[in-house]
Amino acid sequence: MKFPEPDWMKRYAEVVNQDPELRLVGWFFTCDVLLDFETARYLVRVLEGTVREVVPDPAFDRPWAFALRAPRAVWERYLQRVPPPLYHHIFAMLMRVREFKLEGDTLAAHQNIRALVRMCDLMRAVS
Amino acid sequence: MPEFEPITGRYLRVEVGGEPLRIYVEEAGEGHPLVCLHTAAADTRQWRHVMTDERILRRWRVIAFDMPHHGKSNPPGRWWEREYRLTADRYEATIMAVCRALGLVRAVVMGCSMGGAIVLRLAARHGGELGGIIGLESAAYAPGRANRFLHHPAVHGGEMAATYSIGLTAPQSPEEGKRENWWYYSQSGPGVYLGDIHFYSSDWDGRPELGKINTEECPVFLLTGEYDYSCTPEMTAEVAARIRGCRYIRMEGIGHFPMVENPRLFIDRHLLPVLEELAGRLDRA
Repeated sequence: MKFPEPDWMKRYAEVVNQDPELRLVGWFFTCDVLLDFETARYLVRVLEGTVREVVPDPAFDRPWAFALRAPRAVWERYLQRVPPPLYHHIFAMLMRVREFKLEGDTLAAHQNIRALVRMCDLMRAVS
Repeated sequence: MPEFEPITGRYLRVEVGGEPLRIYVEEAGEGHPLVCLHTAAADTRQWRHVMTDERILRRWRVIAFDMPHHGKSNPPGRWWEREYRLTADRYEATIMAVCRALGLVRAVVMGCSMGGAIVLRLAARHGGELGGIIGLESAAYAPGRANRFLHHPAVHGGEMAATYSIGLTAPQSPEEGKRENWWYYSQSGPGVYLGDIHFYSSDWDGRPELGKINTEECPVFLLTGEYDYSCTPEMTAEVAARIRGCRYIRMEGIGHFPMVENPRLFIDRHLLPVLEELAGRLDRA
């Protein structure tokens, strides 16, 4: 199971769906989110804080609300157990890491910011 | 016996710019005055660990107050008719009004983030009155921090501000500390974070004033956490390089909120030695 291969993504969805905090704060988090890891892209379909479907390499006919994009090397720094400064949080990367992008409906992202950040932090919990 | 903490709180009436203010002030300990300034969108609670540390309270009278619009200090006047925008002038005047109303002599002022910025101005303009400054996460110039989603009718302002703030903490900091600060940020009033950022990121450019600071008169200690991406260690190092005699400490494994995200590490390793030096200097004066 290696980032960002499909089995890693499958395990990630399980981790998200088992997280007690997301169960608590994700009730209104219903969004299609694109995670772009450069060498792999996944459409993550979230319904009320639960990942319902992961679509690998989605085509143009699978729309999404917003995307988080960065080169794989950036994500790998973010995923370290103790990430280096500036790579430790998605807001840190949005301000300081030029290659890290939030694109699309950024309002929808911020309306779900607590759940979204939790979902991203849980990437580090995938073993 | 009830188990009270040593912190007591009262309301102070002062006037700033012809406007009466009702300021919530907490204090604990006895000795040289140490005034603590909270960060943007927060309040005195961020200092509760400093204000309950017996080693500090033996030598210092630690005072913290909520800026107007924050915590238990009400917004002044007809606040609903004007947009809240903190300015450097107003911030400076409010701090000095509180210090003078309390009759503090040679107070050391410690501030974090926006508090860490304004202490630079205090040192430049009021150094003769002060016993020193301790700037945590101090920048003299930090443009580009405004974010419309911090005050947006379709975004939960409390969760937005709080989630933004937790990204500024270090991954090594205890979860309890990071979440404690999250909680404080979640309780800021609508638009207060953005109004504070106006001072920090738009109104304030302290660079021209740094050369006026006389560290023989008013010692300057600047401490910044390595995980602070808003005021990076490099930004504080630039400030320190412009102040002759300034002491700069880069704090490993700490973010933007040292006193609340990791109080044990901050107090034990960094703050106590600085306070020891300042107290010794004040004792000899």
